[in-house]
Amino acid sequence: MRARLLAAFLLVLLVSAGAAPAAAHTVMAGADLRFAQTIAGTELTVVVKATPRVPGPLRVGVLAYQRVADLPVKLELRSVADGRTVTGVARAALEPRYAELSVDRTGPHELRLSAGGEVSVVPFRVLVERGSAGELLIYGGLLVAALLLVGGLLTGALSRPGPAMLLSGGAAVGLTVATLVIVFEPGMPPAPPDGAAPVATALPGGRPYAQGRVTTTPARPGAGEEFTLRLDLVDGSTGRPVDDLAVHHEALAHMVVTSEDGRFFRHVHPLRTAPGRLEVRLRADRAGRYLAYAELERQDAGGQLITGTFALDGAPATQNAGDAPATPDPAAESGTSATASGGGDAASSGPGVPRLWPAVPVAGRPTTIDLDAAGPVRPWLGMAGHLIVRSQDGAFLGHVHEMGSTGPRLRFTFSFPAAGRYLAWTQYATGDRIVTVPFTVDVSAQEAVR
Amino acid sequence: MRRRVLIAVALVVVAVTLFVVGRGAAAGPLELTTTGTRYAATVLIDRPTTGRVVVEVRLRSGDPSSVALEPVMPDMGHAMPEVAAREREPGRFLAEGELFPMAGVWELSIRLDGPAGEETLAVNALITE
Repeated sequence: MRARLLAAFLLVLLVSAGAAPAAAHTVMAGADLRFAQTIAGTELTVVVKATPRVPGPLRVGVLAYQRVADLPVKLELRSVADGRTVTGVARAALEPRYAELSVDRTGPHELRLSAGGEVSVVPFRVLVERGSAGELLIYGGLLVAALLLVGGLLTGALSRPGPAMLLSGGAAVGLTVATLVIVFEPGMPPAPPDGAAPVATALPGGRPYAQGRVTTTPARPGAGEEFTLRLDLVDGSTGRPVDDLAVHHEALAHMVVTSEDGRFFRHVHPLRTAPGRLEVRLRADRAGRYLAYAELERQDAGGQLITGTFALDGAPATQNAGDAPATPDPAAESGTSATASGGGDAASSGPGVPRLWPAVPVAGRPTTIDLDAAGPVRPWLGMAGHLIVRSQDGAFLGHVHEMGSTGPRLRFTFSFPAAGRYLAWTQYATGDRIVTVPFTVDVSAQEAVR
Repeated sequence: MRRRVLIAVALVVVAVTLFVVGRGAAAGPLELTTTGTRYAATVLIDRPTTGRVVVEVRLRSGDPSSVALEPVMPDMGHAMPEVAAREREPGRFLAEGELFPMAGVWELSIRLDGPAGEETLAVNALITE
């Protein structure tokens, strides 16, 4: 009979296998939601800490990565199910104090952030762990066993062997259930938390690609004038707005904007202003053509890169000794020694000057780029450092993460796909600034070295 | 005799186990609520399956003159034609048709239009075979 019971249990395991909730874009105890926003001209990371139960407090903090003088961020948390709204204020700081917003139900919510006249609405789900069915069975089985054993002992003492056997048999069943669950529970899929989106059995492949359209407001901004860069995302299969972006490397989207010549560079985190719409305010001092790249990921899909171009009107600004960018911008402060160190210039070393190995990178082979940081490095976007690589013509863009070095040294490894000149920018956060170090890399063809 | 009783007890235990572990997995009637700035609605799907279904939209707030449903399956990139819901009684709209041709999670957009303006709300529904 135990064999039958075991078989039944295995069947239950098989039937209930699969269907785990998607981790992206949710807030659950032990899994904070962190997302970067370029708002009010500065780089912030919003942290939402979960509540273990509802009703309960959701704690929201705003981390500053650049110097800010008392920047209040208005918070408005709204339940999409019943429309209940609570408000609060968080102040952006290096070590922020958390504002508490009370939530009284799980499920879909929207967090509306306002700062410096800009607004972002971020949808997410509040999840709360449910007590597992396994626990119920373990404690239930043990309770049944204990009660029946006492009953069995009593009836046995009263010398009634029939009922005593029955009760002891029942106790054995209770113990068997509890033991089986204890043994098998680690392998059982957890029950979906309360408030989770419905999930079906996983389908092969991911969601369709997102199509992007890059526009500016005004349509032809002038050099030096503030403008809004907008990215509208559309599902390639249904034509509907793509509003299911997963938080990927701590942002809904990482947008890299460069001028065609590479002297202007920004890595920003646009605000979601409407379903399928991301916007960021920018200013660039020189007229010409600009390239925008958005790195994003749909839920239940892989990452993708969406590109677009726009142009700025006006007379070319005065030359600025080859510095990128021409005027300091809060979104990307240049390092103190941010001049380029060309490929092959590996002998030169010093703080802020990238060293390449091999000195002349070969197309298709790994190149390691080392850099000494200007101070203690603070993790930003979940990583110690970022390296953005663009081919000179703009057709290729790569985003490399710092890997495994210790102390103030940053190390990146990347295989440049083809020979030619690449524009590169390393970025890291230290203290109250984000340091951007631009340089160029000349990559040789494979044959040249053999 | 004793053997039969033991088997009966074992069956009861298995049934309870199946119920406890399998609860929530069964496709019962769906009741989904969503609230926008102009309208608030509850969507009821009695039998959330593929094939012909009846979807009821009950307004909890707002008074739209027209309600239309747009089903999309985001995982597969499937979109179905818009279905207009008819107002059976004030604040209660019914739509009927083959809204969900495939089992899985469907996003049901509800386009509401009326004197207060137009708004699109959405709910996610798990549809079974």
